[in-house]
Amino acid sequence: MATADSSVKPLQIAMKMAKVAIQLDGGNKHKEAYCEYLRTINYISHALLEEAGTQKEREMVVAVEEERMLRLAEQCLERAKSFIGKSMAPTDVSVSASFACSPGQSETHQTAVPPVTTAANTVPSSRTAVGEGHKTTSPAKSSHRRVLSDGGGELSPFLPPEIFQKLQTIKSQDTNKRELTPIEQASRLNQKLKANYEARLARLTPGQACQKTSLTLSLQRQMMENLIIAKARQDALQRKMEERRLRLQEEANRRFAASGTVTAEEQEQRTLYTNVLEYEQDNDWPKQWKAKIKENPDNVTVVLHLVSYLLSQSDHPVVKLLKKHQYRIYNRLYPLVSKGLPQSHALPLRASCSTHNLLHLETQRKPSKTVSSCDQSFSTDSSLSHDLHTNYDYVDVEEPHMEVTVDLENSFEDLEQFLTQLDWAPPDGSTDNTGSDSEKTCDPLILDESHIQGLELRALKEHLKAIVKDIHIAVEQLLSLCLLSFESLNTASSKDLCLASIEEAFFMPLWSALVALFRKVNWEREQAFEESMKLYKDVSPGDVGVPLKLFPQNPGMQGSFPYDYAVQELKLLFKHSCPQRKLECIAVATVNHICVCAEEYRCLHEAESTPRTAAIGADDLLPILSFVALRCQCPQLVSECAALEEFIHEGYLIGEEGYCLTSMQSALAYVESLHTGETRLPGDTLR
Amino acid sequence: MAAGGTGGNSGKTYSFKVVLLGEGCVGKTSLVLRYCENKFNDKHITTLQASFLTKKLNITGKRVNLAIWDTAGQERFHALGPIYYRDSNGAILVYDVTDEDSFQKVKNWVKELRKMLGNEICLCIVGNKIDLDKDRHVSVEEAESYAESVGAKHYHTSAKLNKGIEELFLDLCKRMMEMAQAEERLKGNGASQSASSRRGVQIVDDEPQATPAGGCCSSG
Repeated sequence: MATADSSVKPLQIAMKMAKVAIQLDGGNKHKEAYCEYLRTINYISHALLEEAGTQKEREMVVAVEEERMLRLAEQCLERAKSFIGKSMAPTDVSVSASFACSPGQSETHQTAVPPVTTAANTVPSSRTAVGEGHKTTSPAKSSHRRVLSDGGGELSPFLPPEIFQKLQTIKSQDTNKRELTPIEQASRLNQKLKANYEARLARLTPGQACQKTSLTLSLQRQMMENLIIAKARQDALQRKMEERRLRLQEEANRRFAASGTVTAEEQEQRTLYTNVLEYEQDNDWPKQWKAKIKENPDNVTVVLHLVSYLLSQSDHPVVKLLKKHQYRIYNRLYPLVSKGLPQSHALPLRASCSTHNLLHLETQRKPSKTVSSCDQSFSTDSSLSHDLHTNYDYVDVEEPHMEVTVDLENSFEDLEQFLTQLDWAPPDGSTDNTGSDSEKTCDPLILDESHIQGLELRALKEHLKAIVKDIHIAVEQLLSLCLLSFESLNTASSKDLCLASIEEAFFMPLWSALVALFRKVNWEREQAFEESMKLYKDVSPGDVGVPLKLFPQNPGMQGSFPYDYAVQELKLLFKHSCPQRKLECIAVATVNHICVCAEEYRCLHEAESTPRTAAIGADDLLPILSFVALRCQCPQLVSECAALEEFIHEGYLIGEEGYCLTSMQSALAYVESLHTGETRLPGDTLR
Repeated sequence: MAAGGTGGNSGKTYSFKVVLLGEGCVGKTSLVLRYCENKFNDKHITTLQASFLTKKLNITGKRVNLAIWDTAGQERFHALGPIYYRDSNGAILVYDVTDEDSFQKVKNWVKELRKMLGNEICLCIVGNKIDLDKDRHVSVEEAESYAESVGAKHYHTSAKLNKGIEELFLDLCKRMMEMAQAEERLKGNGASQSASSRRGVQIVDDEPQATPAGGCCSSG
């Protein structure tokens, strides 16, 4: 309190006392704080009583001051009361937040209690929580986090696309330090000015009314000026940016040797490239990296560093494009996978009327096994997802509904009725859906459930195919933009590295949703796998046709079953979310482990055998792989492998990775066929 | 997907996939093991190389990457053949000359391959174990005439004596190259690229083929 040092006012003393109380309160010294609050109240009432007795003139000003004193007393009383109610009562966040943000705080050297200094009419009168100010910012900030981590994901393990997008931006904000535009700068400045003004106003003694007016006027003038200047600067900047953009656009056009007609695709590429050029004008790092790459061409570490740095720059056009594609793909996946496994599905014909009903059902229907731990990379606060859940029905723009109505004109009413019945007879699932691409000829009344499911499955497969194609296109586009941005990466080996990094970033948030769709499509295969798994969970390697010499006959030998290591390696596959990594899990880790184990086991059997003959051929590899797959106990493996097959690169398909994946696939198919009894265990009918 | 394992900077590099088919104990694996030993005398053979082997060859000045895929001979894995032999450029069908049954299996494979892949695949029928000629149960004439009738070539090998193996692979490579070149010419004459896009042939200095991997053969 620099202004009033001569005659200390009762209000100021009261505020000082309150401040002490607040500090005690903040320091969790409840008893002392309680007493200090009471003392403050006591002092206020005493001072007011005295004043009421003596002073009769200057009524106006006194009234204001009295009002403030009373409010302060009220607040203190409120706090004191809260101690009695429950000794550790959490304070009301929403109320206290308004205090915390009071901008004048720093200017007033913290002598004044904020609610009192800010003009009287802004202070909420009911409940207050003085002194929680410094704590209050945290709940607001952390609410995002809470949303993302807390919920058990009861309704759907997947985030609604809106949240997905938010998550994308939240992640990127950490690295995003954008410069403020002139207007934004000005408004910040103005806010400061205003805060200053308010602080000074609060310190004015009641008699200085004219000074107050002049302060107000000067504030208004200053703020106006700032805004006008900022506007002018912004306009100039914008013009400059536009000019620059045009220039860069021409540069981009030159780069893609303008050849007569330009397809939409080419046009898009040009625009993207223009964005890249623009970005490079604003940022220095691309130049530095380009120089670095030039110095060490095709250096794996440098290339990897560059790409990972690039991918961490959230405002770079490549990353923006990446996010755009991710969001788009997720938006397509979400309606397909968010409705639980397996019967329910994709194309909601009956939009939202039964959503709640469905959601309810889904939680009951969903087999527990489907929520394997690796699915949980996204989970959401259930209430939130519930709120947003209804939206996607409208977002999902699929025409089948239209087709059906047009093509079935005469039987449309029947269909409608039929669907309604379905809607109201939920327990067996497949409530709201009919096949999207449904046959035009079929009579809706003979659509039985299996038929519907068949149609659903077909529709899902179509969706899956389209999405897979989309992903390929998206990744391709990302790669080409990346190579355009950094031309020196355009060599065979760097390109591969680049692609691998892009894919890793691309698939990371998408994989669990993607594989969920694969699981729906491959549901029957997974079921078969599970059956076999249950039937043969205790088989020995010999039972599935592993030659006797390739596993130890004494089961307790290592405290575990044979090829245990390979099984562990295979299970790691679920931890990754990038196809390339998963493939390495199968190819490099699992299969190689099998080979190593097999060699060891063989050596145990025939000590005299030369290592030369130790290599195992497919005749031995497949039975062992089948055994490992059985022991892995994860039906999801079927879908994972199916997905991998779609995303493995052509170059790898013909290579070792491709071979291992193919072998795994056929081992899985063999395991699936086991439970039907058509395929019998080879047992001792070995060669 | 354009990227992948293909290296190379100029000229043509052929990538061929060869699948190895045949009954359980006809000696497929030994055949491959022999082949890699011959080529990589000094190199340690990793264990997987008995099932899957890649080789870089130089044939008449052209680079060839050969990927040899072993398959399981047991009947119970037979149904899974298609995912192994799809996109193959060549197939080596091995039988045991002392085992009439194994020759019958080869005939079945030929039928299946021709049905699934048409004439786009080079077939080699290989009578192995000629070191056991005294126990021969499949006559040379029968085997060779059969091979001719299905447009395949016939070879005799012995993994034990290391006979005929080198010739077999070299010959197969040459035939696959001829086939690839014929296909190229066809393409050059204005035929659509898609005719061969499914195949494993990759010509590096060409435009990368845009077909996504594995899309057409797999169903679920």
